[in-house]
Amino acid sequence: MKKIIYIALAVLFSSCLRLDSFLYNADDSLTEYKLDAYEGEVEIEVGPAYDVDDSLIHLMTLQSDPSGENKTIWAVYVGRIANIATDTIILYCHGNKDHLDFYWSRVKLLANTGSKNRYGIMAMDYRGFGVSEGPSSEEGLYADVDACMAWLKQMGLSDDRLIIYGYSMGSAPATELTANVRTMQPSKLMLEAPFASEEVFVEDASGLSLPGSYFTNLEINNGDEIKKVEEPFFWIHGVNDDYIQMKTHGETVFGNYQGSYSEAHRIEGAVHNDVPVVMGYPEYLDAVHKFILRP
Amino acid sequence: MGIIKSIGWLVLVVLFASCNATRIIKPLEKGEKAVSAGFGGPSINFAGAPIPVPLTSISYAHGIDTGLTLAAGLNTTSLAFGVVQADISLGINVYQTKAKKFGLTATPAMHFMYDFNEGNYRNYPQLEAITWWQYGEKPNLFYGGVGTWVELNKTKAHGQVQTNELLPWVTIGHQFNRAKWSYLTELKYLGFQHETFPLVVDYVSPGGRGTIGVYIGISRRFTK
Repeated sequence: MKKIIYIALAVLFSSCLRLDSFLYNADDSLTEYKLDAYEGEVEIEVGPAYDVDDSLIHLMTLQSDPSGENKTIWAVYVGRIANIATDTIILYCHGNKDHLDFYWSRVKLLANTGSKNRYGIMAMDYRGFGVSEGPSSEEGLYADVDACMAWLKQMGLSDDRLIIYGYSMGSAPATELTANVRTMQPSKLMLEAPFASEEVFVEDASGLSLPGSYFTNLEINNGDEIKKVEEPFFWIHGVNDDYIQMKTHGETVFGNYQGSYSEAHRIEGAVHNDVPVVMGYPEYLDAVHKFILRP
Repeated sequence: MGIIKSIGWLVLVVLFASCNATRIIKPLEKGEKAVSAGFGGPSINFAGAPIPVPLTSISYAHGIDTGLTLAAGLNTTSLAFGVVQADISLGINVYQTKAKKFGLTATPAMHFMYDFNEGNYRNYPQLEAITWWQYGEKPNLFYGGVGTWVELNKTKAHGQVQTNELLPWVTIGHQFNRAKWSYLTELKYLGFQHETFPLVVDYVSPGGRGTIGVYIGISRRFTK
């Protein structure tokens, strides 16, 4: 009888439900990227004023983590590749929804920072998103963003001209790779609607201080990793964020930053996915640009 | 972003919070035993409709003396996550009328949680007071009461100051009794002091505070 109980317990706990995969709300039904021609739901509508010239749009594949869980991922670079050796580049890490086509309008918006195409913008689909090979994983997020850094470095980018921008789930690779350097050390960190950790999600939802390990094996911990970041830090968050609470997540990340310079933008009336819309695109881009220009 | 709001994993975290119907309404007779199963939980808006989170639990109760019942329960849903969540409670008959038509039960309890993934342990004391009104020949029970979980941790994640010392609720319910079987339906208004907007879980939330829990249960009694 004892044996049966032990076996039953072993089977039960070796096959526990884990909720990690729910972090990735990816759409992998795409067969190709359509960017401007994409007719599905998009993150924000930006209009023709923010269009970029087709000659500056470079879709590419990259090998991510070739010495480990190697996957072919897709990325886009907006700018002149020949100028990467001298330009300042924003590496944009998107949120957990759908794919690059969904976030393409944001990439175009950022390509208008300062003035049209003043800065190069790079964005990628993490493994499992869009046409990038799957499946998604936490380590995959880091590896895929690092693969972009490796390409940028190969094209001549130096650390002092790399700015990393993470939105929502993208705050994880942005923070991790700034705090724990792999291929490049970003010179500035920008986080929009970052989450502190899965533990804060659990606390917000349950009203109790339950460990995240009750539900997930994810180790994303921006709330602690941000303590290692010394580079200038820009934080922007919707005050009425209805998914990642500004007060419990964003303020924790911002409050734990101990580096050289930080600035906070708490956007009244904004929720999780409309910060640039509520601010107004010119005001949003102005805030981004001023931070980039800071010495 | 509409991320995972309707069916996301975060919805499931509510499974631990006040996840079962009232364990002891009226203490059992001395020597009497009961085995129960419960289903239900806090309500969320799912695909445009309010539904209770379908949590399950089982429990065993034993009348250890007149007006004193010991009960132990296990949350079977959390087991699937590799988390043992058990509770033990003591139902004490504080008052009842001579005709035994009306009474008051106080139930201190303790909830224990342990995850086999990282070995994290939590325990939460619970206090509950239930008034019951017995009617009919069987007899059936209407009941209502108040209760709360008590948060013992003084800090939250990342060293933030704990602001949720209590997770209270008010309860109303009905127990339909037959010779050996009982059938329970219950509503709880959970966490009514907590503002539920903005939150990751789309709770059914009257006035933007707390959520409504809906539970059903079945019990089989065994006399000595």
